[in-house]
Amino acid sequence: MGLFAQLCINTLQIGAVYVLFSLGLTLVFGVMKIINFAHGQFFTLAALLIAAAMPAFTVQFGLPVWLDYLVSFVLAMIAVGLLAAVLYFIGFERYLRDLIGSFILSLGLLLLLEGVYLWLFTGSPRVVAKILPGQVSFAGGAMETQRLVICGLSLAFTVALYQFVQHSRLGKALRAVAEDREAAMLQGIRYRRTSFYGFMIGSGLAAVSGGLMAPLTPITPALGSDYLTKAFIIIIIGGLGSIPGAILGGFLIAAIESVAGYFFDLSYATIAMFALVIVFLLVRPEGMLGYAQR
Amino acid sequence: MRTLLTWAAVAALALGVSTAASTARADDDVIRFGITAPMSGAAASWGIGADWVGQQAVKWINEHGGITAGGKTYKVALTTYENGYNSADGGKAAQAMLNRDHVRFIIQGIGTAPVKALQSLSERVGALMMQDAWGKSVKGPQAPLTFTCANTPFELFGPLFDLVKRQHPDAKTVALLNPNDATGQEVEVEAVKQYKARGYTIVLSAWYERGTTEFQPIATKLAQTHADVMDLSGAPPADAGSVYKELAVQGWKGVKISSSGTGSDALVKVGGASVEDVYMGNAADFGGPTATPLQRQLNADGLKALGEPVNILDMAAWDSAMAIKAGIEKANSIDPKAVAKALPTLIFESSYGPAAFGGEATYGNPQQMLVPIIVTQIKNGQTVEIERIIPDELKQRLAKTQ
Amino acid sequence: MPSARVDTAELPRTAMHRARTGPLLTALGAAGVLAFALLTPDEYNQHVLMWVALNAVLAVGLRFVLLVGETNIATGAFYGIGAYIAALCTVNFAVPFPLALLAGAVVATAVSAGFGLVTLRTKGPYFMLISFAFTEVTRLIYTRINYIGGNSGIMGVFPPQSLDPWMPALTVLLCGGLILALYLCERSDLGRVFRAIENNDAIVETVGINVVSIKLLCLVLASFAVGLAGALHAHIYNVISPGDFSYLVPVFALAYVKIGGDSHVLGAVLGAALLTLVAQALEGAGALEQILFGGAIVAAMLLLPDGLWGAGRRVLRLLLRR
Repeated sequence: MGLFAQLCINTLQIGAVYVLFSLGLTLVFGVMKIINFAHGQFFTLAALLIAAAMPAFTVQFGLPVWLDYLVSFVLAMIAVGLLAAVLYFIGFERYLRDLIGSFILSLGLLLLLEGVYLWLFTGSPRVVAKILPGQVSFAGGAMETQRLVICGLSLAFTVALYQFVQHSRLGKALRAVAEDREAAMLQGIRYRRTSFYGFMIGSGLAAVSGGLMAPLTPITPALGSDYLTKAFIIIIIGGLGSIPGAILGGFLIAAIESVAGYFFDLSYATIAMFALVIVFLLVRPEGMLGYAQR
Repeated sequence: MRTLLTWAAVAALALGVSTAASTARADDDVIRFGITAPMSGAAASWGIGADWVGQQAVKWINEHGGITAGGKTYKVALTTYENGYNSADGGKAAQAMLNRDHVRFIIQGIGTAPVKALQSLSERVGALMMQDAWGKSVKGPQAPLTFTCANTPFELFGPLFDLVKRQHPDAKTVALLNPNDATGQEVEVEAVKQYKARGYTIVLSAWYERGTTEFQPIATKLAQTHADVMDLSGAPPADAGSVYKELAVQGWKGVKISSSGTGSDALVKVGGASVEDVYMGNAADFGGPTATPLQRQLNADGLKALGEPVNILDMAAWDSAMAIKAGIEKANSIDPKAVAKALPTLIFESSYGPAAFGGEATYGNPQQMLVPIIVTQIKNGQTVEIERIIPDELKQRLAKTQ
Repeated sequence: MPSARVDTAELPRTAMHRARTGPLLTALGAAGVLAFALLTPDEYNQHVLMWVALNAVLAVGLRFVLLVGETNIATGAFYGIGAYIAALCTVNFAVPFPLALLAGAVVATAVSAGFGLVTLRTKGPYFMLISFAFTEVTRLIYTRINYIGGNSGIMGVFPPQSLDPWMPALTVLLCGGLILALYLCERSDLGRVFRAIENNDAIVETVGINVVSIKLLCLVLASFAVGLAGALHAHIYNVISPGDFSYLVPVFALAYVKIGGDSHVLGAVLGAALLTLVAQALEGAGALEQILFGGAIVAAMLLLPDGLWGAGRRVLRLLLRR
C-alpha cells in the first residue's frame, strides 16, 4: 500500500507542474496557432528571479521566508509579463498563424534568452530557501510539506483557469478563436486583441509554474528547456489547443513517468511517451480532447 | 526603411563575424593553456571553479617569471572552452581549442565523453592533455600525450570503501545510482567490482537520464530496495543533492556515499540536512588544517570570488599548470611530445606539496598524477577530512630523491 | 517562382543574359569553394568548410521536402541513421569507405520510406510533430543500445589515411553534387508536381496523381542526400553520439533555410554557410555564443522575412536600377 500511495503522490507532484506549464503552451497554440519554442524561457526567468531576489530581501528587509517568496513571486510575474509583452509586439504578432516562422523565431529567442540568463545568473544551480519545513505522509507515502502546498496552489490555479476559460467573456473569446478564427471574427471578437491576451495568459501560466517550481528544484538557465519537450508531448496527447486535454495529458504523462520510472528505466518511459505521441498523431490527431484540424 | 535595416543587419553581422574570427590569432611569446569543462547545467560548478583556479595558476606563473625554455621566456594565457559535458559539444570545443586557437597544453578536462572526443584530436595534433575523466582506457601507451591530474575511481574507491566497511561493519547491501552517460558507465563498473570484492551485495544499479528534473520516481525505486548503503556514484552534485533530499522524505535511512562527490557545497545547498554524513571520495577540505597554506589561500580567495570553496577538480588545474611548467623547463622545449617524455621523470611542486607521475602498473604508462587520496564526510554541512593516504609509489619516489 | 520555359530566341537580351548568368555565377562560386578546399593549408578552415558543406546538405534536404509543403523534422533521424550505419561499417566491420557511405545513405533511405509510408497521410503541423517525435524516439533508442555505444556513442571513425588530405575536397564535391541533384529534381517536371501539391493537393489528386506517393518520393530523395551527408559527418567529426542527432539538428537546418531564404536552393546554402561560420566564430565565447547566435536568428527573422537571398535580390534590383 505504501508503494502505491508513494507512486500516486509522485504522480501528483510531477503532474501539478507539468499541467500548469502545458496549459500555457496549449493556450498559445490554440489561440495563435503558433508553437512557442521559447515558452520555457518564461518559466526559467520566473524561477531565476525568485532565486536571486529572495536572498536579497532576506538580507535587506529581514522578512520571514514565506513573505520573501511572495514578494519575489509577484515581482517575478511582473518582470516576465513585461518580457512577454515585449516579445509579442516585436515578434510574435507578425508571425500569427505562421507555424514555421514563429517556430524559428522562438528558437532564436530560446537561444538568446538562455544565453542572457547564463550571462546574468551564471550556470551554477541556484536553490531557494525552504519555505515550509517538514513533511507529510498519506497512507504510507510521503512528500515535503511545501511541495504539498505548492501542489495545491498549482491545482487551484488550474481550476481557476479552467473556470475562467469556460465562463468568462475573454475565456469564451479565446475558445472561439481557437475553434474557428474566422467565425469568431464574424461574431465581432477582436482577433488581434484576443491573441495578445491569449499570449499573455499563456506565458503568465509558464511564469506561475516556474515561480511555483522555484522552491522545489535546483534552478539553472536550462531548466525551462527540460520541461518543454515534456510539455509538447502532453499537449499533443491531450489535444493541441485543448485545456481539459492539457490537464488530462499532464497527469497521464506524470503517471507514466512515475510508474514506468519506478518499474523500468526512465528513458524507456520517454520512448514510450514519444511512441504514444506518434500513434496519437496518426490515429487521432486531435488528441484526447482536442479539436480536429484536418 | 526596410532596405536600410537590411543593410544594417548584414553589415552588423559581417562586422561581428570578422571581428570574432580575427581575435583568435596565435601569439608567439605566449603559451596557450586550455581547459575543456561544462560551464552550465548540473555540472557547472566543476567548470567554473576549474577555470578560476586555472586563471590563478596562470597569474602566479606570469608574476613569477613565466616559463623559460630554449633560451626564451614565455607568458601563459588560459581559455576555458564549454564542452557541454557531452561528446558533440566537446568535439567542437576541441576543434576551436586545438585548431583555431592553437592551444597545445590542456590543463584540465572534465567529463569522460567530451574528454574522449577531445583526445582523438589532441593525440593526432600532438597536444598534451591533463584531464580527470574516469575511464581507464583514456590513458595508456595508445595515448602518450594524455595524463590524469587527479585521482580516479581506481585510486579512490578502494580506500573509500575500506573505510566505510570499517565504520559500518553491519552494512551488507548496496544500491547504486548513476547518470546514463560515459562517466556514469565507467564509474559503475569499477564501483560494482570494488563493492563485490569487499563482500557487499548489489541490490540495484539504477540509471537516470541527464536533464532529469523530477527525482521522486528514482528515489522511490532506490528507497524500496531498503539497501544499507546508497551510493550516488557518478551523479553531479546538484542531482545527488536532489536524490538524497527525496530519499529522506521517503523515509530511507542508511549509509550515504557519493563516491564521485567533489564537495559539500552544491550537495548541501540542494540536499540540506539530508546530506549529513555523506561520504565523499573525491572531495577535500582545502580550508582545513590538513590543507597546505597555498591551498588554504586559494580556497579563501575562491570562496570570495565564486561563493563556493575550491574542490579537487578545480585544484587539479593548479597542479597541472605547475606540472606542465616543470615539464617544459625540464625538457627545455615547448614541444608537447618532449614535455610528455619529461613529466614521468620529474618531481614538481603541486598544491599538495611535492608530487610526481606514476601508475605504470595500472595503466601501462606512468600517466597518473600521484596526489594524496582524501576520504571526506559531510558534518554540519561542511566537508570534513577523515583519512588521507599518500600513494605508495609517491612515497617511494620522494624517498629516492632524499 | 514558377520555372517558365520560354523560347530564348524571343527574349530581349537582358533577360537572356540573366538566364545564363545565374548558373554561371554559381558554377564559378562552386569552383572557388573547391579550390579553397584543395588549397587551404589551415586544418581548422578545412574543418569549418566541411561542416558548412554538411549543414548545407541538411538545409537543402529539409527545403526539398518543404517543396511539397511538409516540415520534415525527421531529417535529424535520417541524418543520424546515415551516420551510425556508416560509423559501424567503418569501425566494426572495416567496410571500404565508399561502401560505408553508401550503406549509410541506403539504410537511411529505407527507413525514411517506411516512415513516410506510415506517416505521410498526415499533413502540416501534425506531420511536423510526428517527425519531431520520431527524431527524438530514434535518438533515445540509440542511447539504449550498448552495441552502438549507448550514450557515449562511437569514437575513432576515420576515413582511410590516404584520403585524409582529400577529405575537404571530397566533401565539397559530394555535398555539392547532392545539392545539385536535388536542385535539378526541383527544376524538373517532378518539381512542378511538388509545388502543385504544396499549393493545393486536392486538385492534384483530381488530375490522377497519387499525392501520397509523390510526397513519399520527395521524402525518399531528400533522405538519401541527408543520409549520405550523415555518413560523411561520422567520418569528419570522428566521434558521434546520440546527442548529435536530436531535434535541434533539423530545427537549425530550418533556421538555415528561413534565414538564407527559402525561395531558392542557394538561399539554404547561404544560410547554412553563414550560421555555421557564426557559430564557429563564437566557439569559446561562453554565454555570448548563445546570445549572438540566437540574436542572429531573431534579427534575421524580424528584419529579413524573405531571408538573405530575398534581401540580396532586393538590393541587387535596387543597384541595377541605377
